[in-house]
Amino acid sequence: MTRPSGLAIYAIAYLVFLYLPVLFLPLFSFNDGTIVAFPIKGWTLEWYRQLGGQDALIGALMNSVIVGLLAATLATSMGLFAARAYVRYRFRGKKASEGLVMLPLVIPGIIVASSMLVLFISIGIKPSLTAITLGHTFLALPFAVSILKSAFDDFDPSLEEAAYDLGSGVVETFRRVTLPIVAPGIVASLLVTFTVSFDEFVLAFFLSGSETTLPVYIWSQIRFPAKLPNTLALGSLLLLASVALLVVAEFFRRRSAKSTFGGSK
Amino acid sequence: MTEQNIIQLRQIEKRFGKVVAVSKFDLDLRAGEFFSLLGPSGCGKTTALRMIAGFQEPTSGKIIIDGQDMDGIPANQRPTNMVFQSYAIFPHLNVGNNVAYGLRGKGISKAEIDTRVAQALEMVELGGLQSRGATELSGGQRQRVALARSLIMRPKVLLLDEPLSALDKKLREQMQFELRHLQQELGITFVMVTHDQYEAMTMSDRIGVMFEGRLVQVDAPPTLYAKPCNNEVASFIGEMNFFPAEVKAEHAESLTITTPCFGTMEIERNPNVATGGRAIEVGIRPEQLEISALEPEGYDATTQGTVRNVAFYGENVHYHVEVDGVKKPIAASVPNYFHTVDYRQGDTVWLGVQSASVIDLGQDQSKS
Repeated sequence: MTRPSGLAIYAIAYLVFLYLPVLFLPLFSFNDGTIVAFPIKGWTLEWYRQLGGQDALIGALMNSVIVGLLAATLATSMGLFAARAYVRYRFRGKKASEGLVMLPLVIPGIIVASSMLVLFISIGIKPSLTAITLGHTFLALPFAVSILKSAFDDFDPSLEEAAYDLGSGVVETFRRVTLPIVAPGIVASLLVTFTVSFDEFVLAFFLSGSETTLPVYIWSQIRFPAKLPNTLALGSLLLLASVALLVVAEFFRRRSAKSTFGGSK
Repeated sequence: MTEQNIIQLRQIEKRFGKVVAVSKFDLDLRAGEFFSLLGPSGCGKTTALRMIAGFQEPTSGKIIIDGQDMDGIPANQRPTNMVFQSYAIFPHLNVGNNVAYGLRGKGISKAEIDTRVAQALEMVELGGLQSRGATELSGGQRQRVALARSLIMRPKVLLLDEPLSALDKKLREQMQFELRHLQQELGITFVMVTHDQYEAMTMSDRIGVMFEGRLVQVDAPPTLYAKPCNNEVASFIGEMNFFPAEVKAEHAESLTITTPCFGTMEIERNPNVATGGRAIEVGIRPEQLEISALEPEGYDATTQGTVRNVAFYGENVHYHVEVDGVKKPIAASVPNYFHTVDYRQGDTVWLGVQSASVIDLGQDQSKS
């Protein structure tokens, strides 16, 4: 090994500053005291134990899971057809529509959130879990499209033609050939879009009615110092779950890239 | 006659926007023949094949397969099956399930499917490999699986899109032989698209040569080689030396011509070309030319020149001989009989040719 260069030191410092604050979350969740500050008083699992008994929190968690599942399913199914079209066909307005689909990635969340609130109220959808689900679908769509596009990129179009040639109709071809081959991409997309929805705060905050999602609930609890350690414990669990989901998603995405063989070996 | 023609193409045309991919295509394919569509890349041969398969609709014209008009009949209902250039083996299925794909969901019993899969794999010499994964196959095996998967459907016509282009040379030559053998054994009509003239000639009963969307000539390989219908076909198939010639007299079966280097001779009329007028073009295959240090005896025409270039091919040697009055050096090919012939660059040599080897190519395109 050569001695670390200036760039390597910079990179390490960068990563430390980026992730150290995140690591404080699990650290303080085991702290036996309600004040988030060093030194740590002692170690406890009490905060994790208490989580089970909080009905409002469990309710918010279930809401998040339901919204996440729905948004992930909607975004992935729409993304599936969009991605296939973008990879397979040339059509008028393709670039423009791809740009539109990717737009939520760059528009500030607060603008999307406030304009969606206005839109939903004007078309008669009250702030509710339904509104949040629709908003999250919109936010998750670009993730679904880009993941599924990479799944279709390595997909030899003559596979579908071969199925058709062997007597399958359009639907049967999709079910017996297209779907199984892009399945790893679909799983990856479901996992990522679920995580996007599960972690989202701004839109959920604006579009919440009487029921709300977990991030919004946590935000509401942070004002009460006594509840803070509970929140830290919950946050740590969510962090763990998110990382686990993304790792699994990446595993499936790579498998989808490998499983189809194109021209090269 | 028409009953024997398994495929009839009538004035097929395919346009993509303003680009004409295939134009005024008329072709009759006989039942049980091995037919090749040969042409350079981009000549429309694959488009023509895909129209027969049903993947593309002709802009105009009629496709009749086994007496039935294919207008409005999609690919999955046509009595044709296709072997794709990429083979298109389903990566998520093993060999057995790939081959069985087309039989499933059609109310055929599992026992019968198993028997037919085993037979089909036996036929392509992959017997017993049912459970092998699709990603574990070599290029040659993938091709055999693709063949078995198509043939198990018992198509009336098997379409092959550049089936051998992905294989290395040795395997390609072996598969040429096997494909031909399989076709003769099954008696199914094979229609193959290829850009490789040797492949087309070694395998086919008949070849259709395509240029720029047009079907230029359809003939058996020996006829195509001996009587090409124009300069394009002559230069695409094998090698050819071209000479301008002037017609001195026309007879029923022959023409009396003069060429700049070989003088006057009487050559056979080519039935495949239209009467060319006075200024025509003739061609001589390199292997039809005799090359020797002294003026060769017993030839209808001779000329003298200088060796400009020697190309060694192993089984034969090509000499490029510069002759006064001819723009391009004349190529003469000599079989390599233990180096009995050995000329060097700059040597003065004689070329001799029989008038039967001089091919009438019709009107000289370069002068019109």
